Amino acid sequence: MSHWADESLDDDPGDSFVRPYTITHGRTTSARDDLTLITVITTLAPADHRPPIRGLEPEHRLILEQCARPVALAEVAAALNLPVAVTKILVGDLIAWGGLSARPPLAVAVGHRPDMTLLQAVRDGLRRL
Amino acid sequence: MAYDDSDRPEGADGAPAPTAVKVLIAGGFGVGKTTMVGTVSEIAPLRTEEYLTVAGVGVDDVEGVAEKGTTTVAMDFGRITISPELVVYLFGTPGQERFWFMWDDLVHGCLGAVVLADTRRLQSSFGAVDFFESRGMPFVVGVNCFDGRQERTVPEVRVALDLDPGVPVLMGDLRQRSFSRDLLLALVEHLMAERDPVRVR
Repeated sequence: MSHWADESLDDDPGDSFVRPYTITHGRTTSARDDLTLITVITTLAPADHRPPIRGLEPEHRLILEQCARPVALAEVAAALNLPVAVTKILVGDLIAWGGLSARPPLAVAVGHRPDMTLLQAVRDGLRRL
Repeated sequence: MAYDDSDRPEGADGAPAPTAVKVLIAGGFGVGKTTMVGTVSEIAPLRTEEYLTVAGVGVDDVEGVAEKGTTTVAMDFGRITISPELVVYLFGTPGQERFWFMWDDLVHGCLGAVVLADTRRLQSSFGAVDFFESRGMPFVVGVNCFDGRQERTVPEVRVALDLDPGVPVLMGDLRQRSFSRDLLLALVEHLMAERDPVRVR
């Protein structure tokens, strides 16, 4: 899978051949404010009622390919070599379009101990490493 | 609706989506954050960039219009799949702690942090310790001892970093996977041992 940014991995994004916010048509903030680095996103099976793909950028299609298996938003950003902010906008587009589902991270409130079952599961998982 | 967030969504291949939590790996530049991510992650560490909007420094105060600037921070991260339902992401935090306060996403879904320290320049870990203390975010401290050289003792590190007595401090070689794993285990056990904030009457 080739990408416009493949040849400029180490460049400052501002110096890239395509400026990041060109992909988003100048939008700098996502319509959704609930997407995080570790929101798990998954491509949904095509549905009949979904409007046809129009106005989608190549990056939108790459995201749909990438998320055939559930994957965190940060992983999508890294794979496409796009800044997280840009990825959030594109993912927001695809959720609105009906092509992606999003699962928010587990709510962990600061100052409250996370669920004991969760902690035990993490501990057991780490011990297997 | 099919893309509702509330239920466990299924992908095109029918696999249910796991939920994710994260652990932050913090500490000064060159202290071994990416090394730690790399030793325990099931994938080669990935890099991504985030733009943060920061209140202007050296603001041009014409008519009270506050200028905003954007700074780019890079993060290396990795992944540990605990079960089909649960994935832990490890994020190496960029060293510019002064920006972390404006970065809500940093602490979303975060269980806690591992602050790495190098005994030759402990001061480079002060910023991370301050941040997690001020946010009430649980953390453990890992002192990286290359080749088993231990130049400070645990009590010395504790005093130098001004740590609360309850904060676990471990020493070891970060290039060893077992040490990275032990740090994460120490964090989880630290979380389990914390008193429940809601007291039973």
